[in-house]
Amino acid sequence: MSGKLRLNTEWLSVCGGCHVGIVDLHEKILDVLGSVEVQRCPVLTDVKGYPEADIGIITGAIRNEHDRAAALAMRRACKTIIAFGTCAVHGGLPGANLAHSREEILDTVFRRSRSTETDVLPASEVSTLEKMVTPLDEVIPVDLYLSGCPPHAAFIFDALVALAHGRPPKARDETVCAACRRSMVKTDVAELRPNHSGIPDPGRCFLSQGYVCLGSVTLDRCLSPCPKQGVPCTGCAGPTMQILTEPNRDLRTEVAERMRRLTKIPAGAVVSAMEASAKTHYAYAMATRMIGGKPTFLIKKWISDVEAV
Amino acid sequence: MATIRIDPVTRIEGHARVILEMKDDGTVEYARLIVNELRGFERMLVGMEADRMPLVTARICGVCPVTHTLAAIQALEDAFRVAPPPAGKILRELLCMGQLVHSHALHLFALGGPDLFFGISGDPARRSIVGMVEAAPELAKKALRLRTLGQKVVEAVGGRGVHPVTVVIGGISFDLAADALASLRKQADEMLALARELVPLARDLLLRLVEREPNLLKLEVRAHDLGMVRGGKVSHLDGALRLVSPDGKVAEEFPAREYADRLVERSYAWSYMKPVFFKLGGKDALYRVGALARVNAADGMETPLAQAELEAFRKAHPAPCHLTIMHHWARIIELLWACEKAKLLLGDPALSGPARVPVQITAGRGVGCVEAPRGTLIHEYEVDAKGIVRAANLLVATQQNYAAINQSIEQAAQSYVAGKGDQAVLNALEFAIRCHDPCLSCATHALGQMPLEVEVRREGTLVRRFGREA
Repeated sequence: MSGKLRLNTEWLSVCGGCHVGIVDLHEKILDVLGSVEVQRCPVLTDVKGYPEADIGIITGAIRNEHDRAAALAMRRACKTIIAFGTCAVHGGLPGANLAHSREEILDTVFRRSRSTETDVLPASEVSTLEKMVTPLDEVIPVDLYLSGCPPHAAFIFDALVALAHGRPPKARDETVCAACRRSMVKTDVAELRPNHSGIPDPGRCFLSQGYVCLGSVTLDRCLSPCPKQGVPCTGCAGPTMQILTEPNRDLRTEVAERMRRLTKIPAGAVVSAMEASAKTHYAYAMATRMIGGKPTFLIKKWISDVEAV
Repeated sequence: MATIRIDPVTRIEGHARVILEMKDDGTVEYARLIVNELRGFERMLVGMEADRMPLVTARICGVCPVTHTLAAIQALEDAFRVAPPPAGKILRELLCMGQLVHSHALHLFALGGPDLFFGISGDPARRSIVGMVEAAPELAKKALRLRTLGQKVVEAVGGRGVHPVTVVIGGISFDLAADALASLRKQADEMLALARELVPLARDLLLRLVEREPNLLKLEVRAHDLGMVRGGKVSHLDGALRLVSPDGKVAEEFPAREYADRLVERSYAWSYMKPVFFKLGGKDALYRVGALARVNAADGMETPLAQAELEAFRKAHPAPCHLTIMHHWARIIELLWACEKAKLLLGDPALSGPARVPVQITAGRGVGCVEAPRGTLIHEYEVDAKGIVRAANLLVATQQNYAAINQSIEQAAQSYVAGKGDQAVLNALEFAIRCHDPCLSCATHALGQMPLEVEVRREGTLVRRFGREA
């Protein structure tokens, strides 16, 4: 087996979709197996422990002691660690629950559910709920990041083949707009339209039509299936580097600025609307300090304003 | 009193472990599968835009995201009194069948398959899909191809395979192009041909396993069965819920919208997962969901090959069958049905019409119900006039099987603990969990074996420890 790239994969707290995403390389998986030797992999192999490896793919965020221990073991065993999928990179969708306290969550699930009748809250044998989600690089050093929910097979294939041939993967920093075929045009649209209203024009940019679309502020790790099939981007691969790294840039201000130029909708109206829908728009990345730590990011306030109505 | 703790070191949808409470005479007092993770989706969803529910709830599970997407959209359309046009309905059903092929093929051949192929007492080192590829490369290759075809249907209709994006209130967000339709039809033909070839092989493996391991025929949970039926036939997207008693009589048939009058979630002090029971005559009745429950609850299958397979099954095991191992045969029946049904759907002339209608959102409450590969899934939302979710309730399949899973573990332990080696005990417990195909098992069983640790304790003191490493 010498000459082949040795690969370990591991999943932490995750829906499992990233590993299905790897299996969804379909026929190409045979090409990959020509230059990659799969060692530990929770879906396909029965390799125990953490054998020494060249590449380690970790999917999912850190939620508990098991996740922490597994991440550390992978770090020790693997030369290069890839944080794979939006959960590993930014905490992912479950991060949206950071907006709520543990008590609120338990109260909703066990006391306020319409079909639940009980006086018992889980207390013995189970651990106290931890902070909902921690991105991988807060626990171990990460070498490469591949976000996406899950990343498209084309990116997975390129990353594995590139690493097998000793070249860096094409770390493209294009946005979801790159593969979108809609045309950005100036319009007289004067009001925001909720995503569910009307049937969007299939040829025209959503922003031009007054729909909030996160395509222009989201990293392309998907090849744009949403705008291609008539659905505005919801940002599942996480924000672009520009937004992550520049303190004065943000999802809502960037989208508002574009919509202001394209339509007759005032930027302030877009910012207010996106703050009111903050849990939706920021869900995938609010667990990362690069978003959640911005001083202007007042998620709990925005949510309590909405829920108080 | 001795306590045996089984700690799977890897996560089972988070972290789960088994505790067996032993009586002094060496028999099992009770079994508990402890689920130590709570994601709290019901809280997270409140305050979000209703139209996001299909996309957000897909992230509950990467193996069956389609089911959550469809349950969410049905709940919203119920709340807003919206009906998708015929083409939209057909495409959604196609999406559902594609996922069923992917999920059942994955389970039958990649996850549960190694058990069938090598036996549950087989060498754990070989008992995996990798071992199967070595031992029967042609079979394994064809089985994986079948899974791929199912997932390609999801990709074509859903926009992508994992976490599809095209299901919107009022239908499907795009119209299927003629070339896409032509290639889908070709794939559906190949899917059905492969299924016809693989089904007899899978059935033979199952029957040989049962011959080799007659103890499997003791693993029986005499519970009620719950499944969706349409015109008496198994249905996954549209129909009424039917409850059948352990002796095969239809106990109740009701619209999913009335679920809260009949299904009740309880809680345990020792687990984050809430078990669900059926309120029957003032008592909590134990019931099961999933492929076996569905074929038990229905009068028949709507397509000819699946119906023939069901008849063969019922001849060998008169309905209702409570043998846990026969979940596999039920999956085989449904796999055939999904392939036949996909072909029928793709031949429907209504597919050429528009797939989406415009909608108006009003305040309301709605229930959606879909049969996931692993069993009945219910979503309910309360939405305000602005389209914001005010309350959300989710009942997933594994919750509804929770009580039955604990009973199966107990039985497996009972029949294997006495007089068998440690490996046999570990295998049997693992197998009992895996047969229910709980969503939590998709995380572990492909390993060929679950990494388990068993501690035998007497009055709190460790007597011995055995197991195997992760």
